[in-house]
Formats: sequence, C-alpha cells, structure tokens
Amino acid sequence: MRRRDLLKSSAAAGGAFLFDIVPRRVLGQGQPAPSDTLRLGHIGIGGRGRTHLRPEAELGKALPPTPGQGGDGKSLRSPAVSVALCDVDAKHLDEAATRVGGRPKTYRDFRRLLEDKNVDAVHIATPDHWHALMTIMACQAGKDVYCEKPACNTIEEGRAMVTAADRYGRVVQVGSQGRSQVAAWQAANYIRAGQLGAVSKVTCWHYASPVGDWTPDSDPPPEIDYDMWVGPARWLPYNAKHTHGSFRWLIDFGGGQIRDRGAHIMSIASWIMGADNTGPVSIDAKGEPPRDGMYDSAVTMEVTYQFKNPDWTLVWAQPGTPSAEIQARYGAVYQGDKGRLTVTYGDGANTATDQKVKDFASQCDCGKVPRSPGHNENFEQCVRTREKPIMAMEAGHRVASLCILGNVGFQLQRKLEWDPVNERFLNDEEANRLLSRPGRGPWHL
Amino acid sequence: MADDQKFLADIQSDSADTRFAAWRQAGEASPAVIPQLGKLAAGQTGVGKASREALTTMVHSVGKDPASANRAGVVRGLIAISGPDYPLPVRVHALRLLSDIAAEDSVPPIAKWIGAAELREEVVYCLERIPGEASNKALMAAYKDAPDDFKPRILAALGHRRAPGAVGLCLEAMRSPNKDIAVMGARAFGRIGKKPATAPRYPDIKGLSDTQATDVMDGMLRYADAQVKEGNMAEAMAVYKGALERPQEHWQCAAVIGLARIGSADAAAAILSKLKSDNRTVRITAENAWKSMAGTKA
Repeated sequence: MRRRDLLKSSAAAGGAFLFDIVPRRVLGQGQPAPSDTLRLGHIGIGGRGRTHLRPEAELGKALPPTPGQGGDGKSLRSPAVSVALCDVDAKHLDEAATRVGGRPKTYRDFRRLLEDKNVDAVHIATPDHWHALMTIMACQAGKDVYCEKPACNTIEEGRAMVTAADRYGRVVQVGSQGRSQVAAWQAANYIRAGQLGAVSKVTCWHYASPVGDWTPDSDPPPEIDYDMWVGPARWLPYNAKHTHGSFRWLIDFGGGQIRDRGAHIMSIASWIMGADNTGPVSIDAKGEPPRDGMYDSAVTMEVTYQFKNPDWTLVWAQPGTPSAEIQARYGAVYQGDKGRLTVTYGDGANTATDQKVKDFASQCDCGKVPRSPGHNENFEQCVRTREKPIMAMEAGHRVASLCILGNVGFQLQRKLEWDPVNERFLNDEEANRLLSRPGRGPWHL
Repeated sequence: MADDQKFLADIQSDSADTRFAAWRQAGEASPAVIPQLGKLAAGQTGVGKASREALTTMVHSVGKDPASANRAGVVRGLIAISGPDYPLPVRVHALRLLSDIAAEDSVPPIAKWIGAAELREEVVYCLERIPGEASNKALMAAYKDAPDDFKPRILAALGHRRAPGAVGLCLEAMRSPNKDIAVMGARAFGRIGKKPATAPRYPDIKGLSDTQATDVMDGMLRYADAQVKEGNMAEAMAVYKGALERPQEHWQCAAVIGLARIGSADAAAAILSKLKSDNRTVRITAENAWKSMAGTKA
C-alpha cells in the first residue's frame, strides 16, 4: 500500500484509529516505526498525573488500555515509557520516580524538561492555571501534548493553545476522556442516527462545590517551590487549602465543579451535538458563591447556554437531579422530540447509558462515529500518525469555553450575549476584559 | 446616607448570612462607602471577604455600560483605595478591580505607582487591561526608567496589547546585552506583528539557552504569520525559509505550515523539498500542506 493510499484510508475511516503495526521500512530509513516506543515526559505528577505514568517494567508486556481512560478493553497498549518527570513538589517527584523505575530524569522546572531532547511527548497534569502556558511552550519546543482538562482558564488562553498547536503542527489531546468511554460512543451513535429525533435540550447535573472555611496562610513546606506553583496566576500567600487538590475552588487557579466535571460532561454533549467548533450565543448564569470562607467559585449554579443553527439548549445544573430513579451523582440527559436518553457520569469507567442504546449499538452500522481505543492510546496513535485526536485542541478549547463562560456569567450576575465566531461578548465591555488575564513575572502567553 | 450606614453595618455583621445579603446588594450602594470598605477589606475574615465581595459587586454593577451613572464614582473610589494609605492586599484588590472597568482617564493615577516595587506587578496587570493608547504610552514611559529586571515584564505587556507604537522599543530591546530583555523584545515584536521601517535584528540564538532560543524563533514565526495576514508575503517567506533550513523538526513543520498559507509557486517549491524528508513528522506535515494547497483535504 502506498503511503498516500494509507493516509486516505485512514481519513476515510474517520480519524486516527488505524496505525497499529506499520513496519519501519514503510516510513523511511532511520525513522521510528509507529510500533516503536514513545518517550514520555510528565509535568505535574500529583494525584491525576500519577495515573499517566508508564513504568519501565511494563514495557514489552501486553497490557489493556490505561484503566478509566476508556476504549473497548480489547486492544493493547502501544509501547511507551516515562523517561522524564517534573513537579514543583519534591515528594511527588520522588514517589513518581520510584513508581516508574529505571532512571527517569527528574526536574523541578518544566522548562528543563521541555529542553530534554529525549522526550517525544509530554503529559501535563498540573493545576488548571498552568495548562495553557505549558501546552504552548511544549508546542514551541516541538513536543506533542496530552493536557489534562479543563484546557485553559481564559478564552484567550484557549485560542492561543489552538494557534500554537496549529503553528507547529503538534498533536494535542485534552484529557476529557469521557468521549473515549464505550457508553459515550454508544450514545453518540444512537443520537446521531436520529433515534431521539431532533435534540433540543441537554441538561447536565452535578452536586455542589464545597463551601470551605478559613485556614490561616502559612509558609510553604520546604518540598514545594511555591513561586513556581503560582506561576502566571495572581500571587497569593501559601495556603494548604488552595494548593494541590483544593486549587479548583478558587477562580484564579481552577473554577469549581463546572470546570472540573463540566469539562467531562459537557465535552460529551459538545461531541454528540457537533458543537466542537462553535459555541453558544447566550449564557445566563445564576447561583450562589460561598457566603464565608476562602473559596470563591460557585457553590450552586444553573447556567443556560443557547445554541443557534441548530437551535438547542445546554443546561448546567449544580446541583440538579434528572429524576428520582437515577442514582448517579452527575451526568446528562439528552431530550429529543422522539425520546430522551441519559448518560451518567461521563468521565471514568463508570460512564453508563440506557439499555436501548447498547442494544442499538450491537445492531447498527456503528462505523460512522469514530471509536477511541482509549484516551491515552488515541493520543499515542495520533503522535505516530499525526492525525487529530478525539479531543483535539479546538474541541478542548471550546469545551473549556463553556465552563469559562458559565463562570463569567456567574461572576457578573447578568445574561451575556456571545459571538462564537469572533469569541467576544456583545455589548459588554467588562465581560470582554474578562476574556484574558495577564500573566505574572516571566509567565506570559 | 442612612442606607449606606446600614449597608456598612450589615457588611460588618457577625452573621455570614447578613453579610452575604449586604454584599449581593452592594450594586445599589453609593460609591461613598468605598473608602470604608477599603479599610475593612484586608482581613482573611468573614468581614474582609464581605468587603472585598461588596467592592467587586459594585464594579460589576457598573461594568457593562461605560456610561453608567455610578461608574466614575466607583472608579474614583477604587483609585483612592489603591493608594498608600491602605494595606497592600487592598491596594492589589483595587487595582484588579480597576483593570475591569477603568478607562484612559484613570491611567495617570494608576501608572504613578509603577515605581513601587511591592505594587509594580499589579500596576502593569491593570494597565495591560485598560483599552486605549494612554496605557501604551504609560507603559513605554515606564520602560525607560524601569530597572532591568522589570523591563521584560513591561515588554510582555506591550506585546500582549499588540501596541504598534512599541515596535521601536522592541527593536531596541532585541539589541540589549541583557538576554532576558533581548528575548522578551523578540517575543513582544512577534506578538505585535507590525513591519518596521528597518529590518529587525534578532538576538543571536547561539548565545541563548534552548528555551530562550525557542522564544526567539517563536517570535519570528509569529511575526511571519502576521505578515501573511497583512499580505507582506516576501517578508514572511524569508522567515519561513530560514526556519525550513534549521535542523529542528518542529521549526521545519512550522515553516511548512506557514508556507502553505502563502500558497505561491515559490512556497510550493519550498514545501516540495520536504516531501522526501528523512523525518517522518516533517514529511507528513509537508504531505498535508501539499494536499491543502492543492485543495484536497488531507
């Protein structure tokens, strides 16, 4: 098969899911075959980042896709190994190095990792406020990127990430792995085949964000390079209740449940509804912040997004309950003129949908919606083929935009009109200033 | 006045619910309460939070419409509490809020604090967000007197603002012996993307760290991309051809992608040379660029 034909057949198959075994000779002398080992660098290896590590001891073993990252569970992981690790927390670094085994290079400054010529691609699993800058700098350094969700903290950041990926021809996958789950794929097939008729409303529900309390600021522990942790964000004195896992309850660093889980649940909605390259025309957010304590992201909120051409409504309800019989703590209901469908959860392996959808998937010609072999696996395949992954940067930006727009509406407490083409608010000067946040110190887009 | 007193009393209430109700209604309060809120806003306490949130709510209530009746009063109040009579966290909060709503006429009283070491970062943040030429001029004026360790921050702000009047400053910065200034000059120049009267002289990549060299090359590529949009194809072509000759795979890819946007026969010829590249990523990028130029989607 000629390379051109191979590329054509890959495109015809709907994406990035072909190259499993291509011998070195097809690709030219001196080049790594797609089946060769991918060398990964990891920036941010605390809670989430740990799950992306590829220990040296696993190399060469036939293993299923990374747990919780979706896929059919049948295909095996392609070879990859973690060769470089970076974290501002020395404890995280030591733990990860032990877990990976071998002799990974360790760095406290991610810029040194990006300079490492032995790294092909990087996983970024830092707090949200670092995602954009690290992704952009990784693209500039020639690395492909798997960036955890949500992609960015501002609309400007997201667009700059898209531009950087495009400018350097880099593969960027955003870690909303919900669309790599089998149930999400089944739901996408079902809905796109018209089984619900015209879908007019998608209602996402999720439990509330924590209220928090007052915890005194303190000196940072010696193992943390706190200035680097804050990076481009607004300087705040160190506080254990806003670093590591708790960062997400402050707008400066995270932005609440709508960003944390919204970037999963609304990612599936955006994918199914074909909205990965566009956005709403209006955002109406209501809700309540913590009445006391150090956090500032919405405890409760309801955001209504109106889309045009086609017309449909997306609702983020925090909290919200779709019906008494559904026990799942979060998910989405798709309402069409012929019926309704529920996709519960939407992030990990617990993602589920209705039996009728599974039955339909087993009967229909389900080749129309690309099926991911697992979110990490999809990324690694695309690094080899240079195809766009299932949650490519534009989609990652547009989904993060939904989260950001909801938070801007919540902060301003007024209905906003949005131009999804030019990515500007209409008739609202203050809202438009919130599209960007200048960086701090040497950290700028 | 009586309402203002009740409002301030509620903000200082022992009850979080009362404080919350007060701050949510702060948009209806008079700007005259701002100095008192400023005095209360420093603490990491419920009252401190309620005061900061009240100030924020006042800003949002006048933010949508630049002509709203209370806007000038709110801005004046915030400028007052950004002064040295107030604790640093309050001054920072005031500058952050001013960055949301202040207009050009507020630039002088804000810019005057740029020399204060403890506040300069926040002053630049604020100026960076205020639309109009007054901020550009204030930043350029501050650059002249800024210590070397702060010059890159000001250049970054000017680059982010795409301030065309700062091109000369960027060219000057690129010639600085201080590498941080020179690199940030190249970054800002690329972001502004305006063609200068004389050819830009970029910092010599050989003397830079990998990260600095990457920054400079990125500035050059951004400049070239801007020239394509402006129709200055020859200017862009020179940058892309230079990048194409570099050994770095991703710089070659960026050049190929840029050349495809130019779309001329000359550009096609340059891309053609990479269709047989030894590097698989460059080769696939060139194939895709070639197909896109031919009008067939890869």
